[in-house]
Amino acid sequence: MTFVHQEVWHWQIATYLFLGGLGGATFAISAVLHLFEGCDRKMLSVAVMSSIFFLVVGTIFLLADMLQPLKAIYALTNPRSWIFWGVVFINFYFIAAIAYVIPLLEEWPKLEPIIRKIPQLILGLLERYNNLAALGGSAAGFLVAIYTGLLISAAPAINFWNTPALPLLFVISGFSTGAAFLLLLSTFSKNEAAYKISAKLEQLDAVLIVTELIILGAYFNFAMFLPTGARASAEYLFQSPLFIGGFFVAGLLVPLAIETYSIFFGGHHHAEKKSSMPILVASSLVLFGGYLLRMYVLKAGMFQFPW
Amino acid sequence: MARYGMVMDMRTCVGCQACMAACSAENQTPFWSDKFRTHVEDKEQGSFPDVRRVLLPRLCMHCENTPCLSACPTGATHMNDDGIVLVNSDRCIGCYACCIACPYDARYAYNGEDVKHGHELYGETVMHEVPHVDKCTFCVHRLADKLEPACASTCPTHSRIFGDLDDKSSEAHKLATSGKAHPLNEGLGTSPKVFYIPS
Ligand code: SF4
Ligand code: SF4
Repeated sequence: MTFVHQEVWHWQIATYLFLGGLGGATFAISAVLHLFEGCDRKMLSVAVMSSIFFLVVGTIFLLADMLQPLKAIYALTNPRSWIFWGVVFINFYFIAAIAYVIPLLEEWPKLEPIIRKIPQLILGLLERYNNLAALGGSAAGFLVAIYTGLLISAAPAINFWNTPALPLLFVISGFSTGAAFLLLLSTFSKNEAAYKISAKLEQLDAVLIVTELIILGAYFNFAMFLPTGARASAEYLFQSPLFIGGFFVAGLLVPLAIETYSIFFGGHHHAEKKSSMPILVASSLVLFGGYLLRMYVLKAGMFQFPW
Repeated sequence: MARYGMVMDMRTCVGCQACMAACSAENQTPFWSDKFRTHVEDKEQGSFPDVRRVLLPRLCMHCENTPCLSACPTGATHMNDDGIVLVNSDRCIGCYACCIACPYDARYAYNGEDVKHGHELYGETVMHEVPHVDKCTFCVHRLADKLEPACASTCPTHSRIFGDLDDKSSEAHKLATSGKAHPLNEGLGTSPKVFYIPS
C-alpha cells in the first residue's frame, strides 16, 4: 500500500472551489434576505454583482487549469459526471443572478442609461418576477456551493475526499464565507436597515461556524479511525501550521469569539452605531480561513494505491 | 465482441522494464517527461529479517465498472465493444476529473509541451496531435491487426498474458479463473480486467 499526494489539482482549483462556494452562498443568502427580511436594495445589488464577479473569476481559474478550455462546451455530454452538473448549476446561477439583479440596479442613478437600453417589456417582467428570481437564485446558489464539494468527493481512491462529509463541510463553510462577505458589505452601508441585517448576519455566521466545527469534528474522527489514506491526510493537516493556525484558529475560533462577544455584549440595540472594526476583522478572517480550508483539503488529498 | 484482459504473473517478472520501453516506442508516450502508460513498481515487503522484493507491473485495469468514465463530463473517455477503455483526444478538455477518479494511477496529462516535443521528435508520424489526458489502450490498433499489445509481446519472461477473458480456450481466461489470480483493490468494486498472480 502506498499513499501518494495527488498532483493533479492545485491552487487554481482551490481558488475556484473557494470562489464557487463564496459566490453561490452570497447570492443564496442575499436572495433569502430579500425574500424574508426585506433588505437595503442597494446593498443587495452590490452583493449580487460581487457574487457574479466571484463566479466569473472562479470559472476563469477553472478553465485556465484545463488542457483545452476552448472545448469546454463538450462538458455537457455525460450526465453521470459531476462536472456536467456543475456546468448546469453555474449557468442556472448566472441566469437567475442576472435576472434578479437588473431591477435592483435601478437604485444606482449612474447606471440608468444602461438599464434604459433594455426593452421595457423585459424590464417589466424582471421587475414582476423579481421574487421568483430570488427564489430560483437561492436554490442555484446553494447548488453551486454544494457542487464544489461533490466534485472532489468523486474519487474512490482518495479516502479523505470520498465521503459525504466533504460536500457538507464545503457547503457550510461556503455559506459562512458568504455571510462574512455580506457582513463586510453591511458595515459600509449607511442605511438603518443594513444595521439590523448586520446583526442577523453575525448570528448566522456564528451558527454556521459552530456547525462547521461539529462537521470538522465528525470528519476528522472518521478520517483518523481507519489506517487508510484518510488518516494519512488528516495527519498531514494536523502537522500543517497554516491549516491549524490559519484556518482553524484564525479562520474559525477567532471570528467565532469576536462574533459571540459582539452578539452578547455588542449592544446592537443601542441607538449609537457600534464600531465596525471587529466585524471587519472577523469577516476577513472567515474569508481567509475559507480559502485556506480548500487549499489544504486539496493539498491533503492522497491516493491510496494497492502496490 | 471480446472482453480483453491481462494476467500479470508476478512470479516471473524480473523488473527489466522492457514493457515500458516497448509501450513508449509503440505509443509515443512522453518518456522525456517521465510519463508512461505502464510502470513496474519495485517494492520491498515485510520487515527485517523477513524482507523480500516484489515487482508489480501495472497499467490501466480497463475497469468494467469504470470510475474514470463516470467522472468524464465530455464523453471523451469511453469503452469500446471489446471492453477497452479509451480516450478520444479530440473531445478531451483536460479537466483531470478522470485522473482524480482513477484508483490505479493509470492516467497522465499529455500536455502542450509534450505535444510540441512529440512533433519535433516524430515529425509526420506523430500520434498525439493535441493536448489531452492519455492512458493505455491495450494497443487497440495492434489488436486490429491480430497482434498482442506491445508490452505483452515484448515481455521476455511472459509475465504479461493477454487475451479474451470470455474465450474459454485462452490462456488469459484460464489463469484469470484459476483462483490463483486476483485483481488489485477488489473492494473498490471497479471490476478490473487485469489480474495478478502473486509471487
Ligand atoms: S484503471 Fe483507471 S483509467 Fe483504467 S479503466 Fe480503471 S479507472 Fe479508468
Ligand atoms: S480530462 Fe479528458 S478524459 Fe479526463 S475527464 Fe476530462 S475530458 Fe474526460
